[in-house]
Amino acid sequence: MSENLAESHTISSREVLFQTSNASITQCDAQGKYILSFNQDQIEFRACELISFRRKIQKIDLTKLLASDTPDIEIVSMPHCDRLFVFTIQEILELKDLFAGTFAMLELNSLIHKEIIRKGALIKSN
Amino acid sequence: MKDIIRSQSVLKEEIIERINKQIKIEATSSSAYLAMAGWCDVRGYDNCAKFFFKQSDEERGHQLKFFHYLADMEAEATSPTIDEVEHEFSSLKSVFEKALENEISVTESIHDLVRLARKQGDIATEEFLRWFVQEQIEEEFVARKCVELFDVFGNEKLAIGMIEERILSIEYDGGE
Ligand SMILES: [Fe+2]
Repeated sequence: MSENLAESHTISSREVLFQTSNASITQCDAQGKYILSFNQDQIEFRACELISFRRKIQKIDLTKLLASDTPDIEIVSMPHCDRLFVFTIQEILELKDLFAGTFAMLELNSLIHKEIIRKGALIKSN
Repeated sequence: MKDIIRSQSVLKEEIIERINKQIKIEATSSSAYLAMAGWCDVRGYDNCAKFFFKQSDEERGHQLKFFHYLADMEAEATSPTIDEVEHEFSSLKSVFEKALENEISVTESIHDLVRLARKQGDIATEEFLRWFVQEQIEEEFVARKCVELFDVFGNEKLAIGMIEERILSIEYDGGE
């Protein structure tokens, strides 16, 4: 019973930020973390880790990848969880989409916090 | 939904990337000055060598200052790889000319960074950079004075002796 309660609490503190057909990024308020779900895999990120992972994905030059003689895959390291991932071009495209959508949501959320929530709290306290 | 991204990260990505580039520039400067110090040392220009060893340490200090700033702001600072720097110079004068050239490009890079911070509305970073803007005024002043010594004394053996004598006492007085 108490276990169930704990679980429902965790789930309620989670919010899906953006979703594509095989992937999603969720924010967990309770842990202060982000969770990337991709092909049955779940990887946790702190904010700065998420930002640096996004940078890695954005930096992948797809036209170069397509033009080269080497296989159309890219190896991406995630040092924070000590793992290496091999992504196909489709997967990279999907991740690029996923991050664009996620960060648009995060920016919007930050804007709401800045303009409405934090400013509102300041006004109230004055 | 909490604003985790704001509570865990302060700086914008573009700023982080640009400061990481600056870390590399400072590290390269430090390495370039070390090479100059070595060049002077083996040729018996002991005070010039001392001057460049000190410059090299200062640049390393700048590198760390930027590095700590990123780390303090919860951003990932990159320890840079350093490209090849010049080890061969035609004369002592050309060493100082190179040093001045280097300081000018560092100044330009710092100013670019200030402009970026301004464009992004990053007031904290702009404020943090103030120290570097001031520092560059000083660094350029000293480097320029060094080159001027050669113009005053010429490039002869005697002149080099004079420079050796004066190089360690050049200081910027802050415009007073
Ligand atoms: Fe510097």
